[in-house]
Amino acid sequence: MNWKNVARLISIDKKSGRLIRGQKLRRYRESKVFQYLLYGGACVLGLAIGLAIGSYYNGVSDPELKNLLYQSARHLFLSLPILILLYSLVFTMMGQIQRTGVRSSIQPPYWLPITWEEHTLASTIAHLIGFPLASIIVFSSAIVSFSIFLGELPLATLTIFALLASAFLASTTTEIFRVLQVRLIGAVYKTSGKAAVWVRFLGSLLFLIAFYVVWFALTSGAGSITLIEMVASAQEAVWFVPYVWLGLALTSFMGGLLAQTILFSLASFLFILALFYVAVRLNVRFGLYEPPAITVSKGVYVPKVGLLGKLGFSSLEAAVIRKDIKAFTRRRELMYIFIMPLVFILMPLMQHLGMLGEPATSEASWFLFAWILLGPGAIMAAMLGTMIIGEEGGSVWLFFSSPITARSLVKCKYAFITIFSSIVMLVCGVIGILVAHPSPDIATALLIESLLLIFALGAVSLRAGIKGADFTEVPRPRMVRPLTALVNMLLCLVLALAIFSPLLLHAITMGYIPIPVHLPKIDLSIAVSISAVIAVVVTFVFYRIALNAAEEFLTEAGR
Amino acid sequence: MVSTAEYVVELSRVAKRYADIVAVDYIDLDVKYGEIFGLLGPNASGKSTTLKIILGLVKPDSGSVKVLGINAEDDPVAVKRQVGYVPETPRIYEFLTGLEYLDFVGDIYGVGVSEKKTRIKEYLEALELEGREGDMISSYSQGMKQKITLISAFLHKPRLLILDEPLSGLDPKSARIVKDLLRELTAHGVTTIMSTHILEIAQAMCDRIAIMYEGRLLASGNMKELRQKARLPGSDLEEIFLKLTGTEDIREVVEALLK
Repeated sequence: MNWKNVARLISIDKKSGRLIRGQKLRRYRESKVFQYLLYGGACVLGLAIGLAIGSYYNGVSDPELKNLLYQSARHLFLSLPILILLYSLVFTMMGQIQRTGVRSSIQPPYWLPITWEEHTLASTIAHLIGFPLASIIVFSSAIVSFSIFLGELPLATLTIFALLASAFLASTTTEIFRVLQVRLIGAVYKTSGKAAVWVRFLGSLLFLIAFYVVWFALTSGAGSITLIEMVASAQEAVWFVPYVWLGLALTSFMGGLLAQTILFSLASFLFILALFYVAVRLNVRFGLYEPPAITVSKGVYVPKVGLLGKLGFSSLEAAVIRKDIKAFTRRRELMYIFIMPLVFILMPLMQHLGMLGEPATSEASWFLFAWILLGPGAIMAAMLGTMIIGEEGGSVWLFFSSPITARSLVKCKYAFITIFSSIVMLVCGVIGILVAHPSPDIATALLIESLLLIFALGAVSLRAGIKGADFTEVPRPRMVRPLTALVNMLLCLVLALAIFSPLLLHAITMGYIPIPVHLPKIDLSIAVSISAVIAVVVTFVFYRIALNAAEEFLTEAGR
Repeated sequence: MVSTAEYVVELSRVAKRYADIVAVDYIDLDVKYGEIFGLLGPNASGKSTTLKIILGLVKPDSGSVKVLGINAEDDPVAVKRQVGYVPETPRIYEFLTGLEYLDFVGDIYGVGVSEKKTRIKEYLEALELEGREGDMISSYSQGMKQKITLISAFLHKPRLLILDEPLSGLDPKSARIVKDLLRELTAHGVTTIMSTHILEIAQAMCDRIAIMYEGRLLASGNMKELRQKARLPGSDLEEIFLKLTGTEDIREVVEALLK
């Protein structure tokens, strides 16, 4: 093992990670001092937390409370390795998700004299650098300083070792997962044949759903406490699972069982080595694996006339809409747009089912489901609008060189935004209605309102998407300039509030939202009508602006 | 310069700057109907910018551009409708299959359904892409992607072809097919403007050639005229090119590298 190679590879990995997140290379970012500042800060923060808790602990005079705090702290020490394991798993997996769809390769060129051991180790360590490592440092320094007050410095030292080992264990698991998923996905595509595109689409959505369910369960306050309690009590019951052996080593140490402590520590060490070996072997086998080509169609080619033509779209406009539908169901980086509606549905649903602690009250539930009806479609329209031009990436030359007019471009892109967002809105709406059972008039009003928002925000964002299009594809597709996206989101927020304000006034005057002043009631139909007028004006004005922007965009193509 | 129906492309005093860089420096250029016109020059000599100006992708800072009798600035869409274009480094939608991409381009140019079907089939057969047309483009080799881009440029039967390095990445057989196809199209009245670094191909294929250097048009004409201009009778295009662009001191460079 050439440690210098490992260090170089980690540095490259981190640099590519920063590029993936869209950070430009700056001299201060390359400075070693700045890089270590995060960890130094984490250390200071951890020490301060530990000292604060320790001082509080010292100040407690009630022996019963002191004992309770002492026992709780020891419980926390026991749970920390497995908690760090879970959090590191989530964060390192998140890093992997972030890298999906990145064009530039982060694999070291295979012709360089780098061994797979060096590559695997570098990759495993690189997953941890940044937030996961900073979190571990916060925990470790807090444990050290607090343990002085507890008189448990040996236990704290062992816990820190266990934390580091847990993080490495999680990162190695992620590395295995990363290599396997490439191989597994390849195998799935190969066997799925023509259905490969849909298998990939649905598989990605299922993965996102599973990931976010775990994420919300871990990160919500109630979920974390439940988890700590569960881990502390259930660790011994599942002693045969190697991932809990580090925690069991700590439990044994606390119980004064030296032989058992050594046994579990040694077993954990061997398990980490074994996992690392597996990761290396998998990299040797599949590290340079090329997934098979996805065959979408076979047999006789029959050009489509299609429904879009019947709806009044020209063959050019229909072709662009069809192409965009394929883009959003086939391109990984675009599939992530579905995260937002998923989050919108999952959060209240998990709250409703009591998966995030106590189930939501019926009033809170009602508001959350109103949010499900309104939010996803409108936000989807705003997001799609900003990225719909930039998503063309380098292929945009075809738009510039083909006989597409500004009017056609805006028409087909706007149609795609509104059709796609309306479908998402309807799916989310049906789920919302099924769970919350709103009254028919409220459900209808919210559905109309959601459509109005989609049409208005779609036009507003399309203008921004044309003006701020960013066709950069390497290291990852940018699609829109960040400042344009931010300003557009603020503008959308203001306009959405303006469109929704009549309905808000209706809710206030009807007493759904209590205020101290009594106001005359505004009828729901009148509120929706006023809202519609505002939305139509916004849509018309911004559609015209988008047309002008498209005209300029196509004329200035080569600049 | 007098505008006549003889010319498919007429550039007059065309100039284009990018900040301090002069991309095209007041050039005059005419391309006749039904000829293969080669645009040569070292890297960054302004070839690609000139091709983009002809297609209306880049607005010149000054000068006039007429393509197929249409002012490219006034009605770029009308020009684009009659032009087939292959850029230097074509990026194509990798999430589509080859067939879907060609279908998409056919629709963009308004090719009729049955015509599109027939032409796609013929071109796929000719360039040996049959059997892979249903695969996603992401799995194609560079040469296969180039073939798809070339087919998409030919699909709507354009009157003018603007090809930037058209044979790049093609296997010998496909390159030969494309060359023969271009000659056949020329015989049927289609005009081709191509830019290439492979001087043997340019010499063999082009009726007339223009050589650009640092945005300027150094010379244009057929081989005979170029030889006269370079005062190199009996020489090939490579020698003419190196002399005109002032890069003939190759031997010294190689010797310096070997030291």
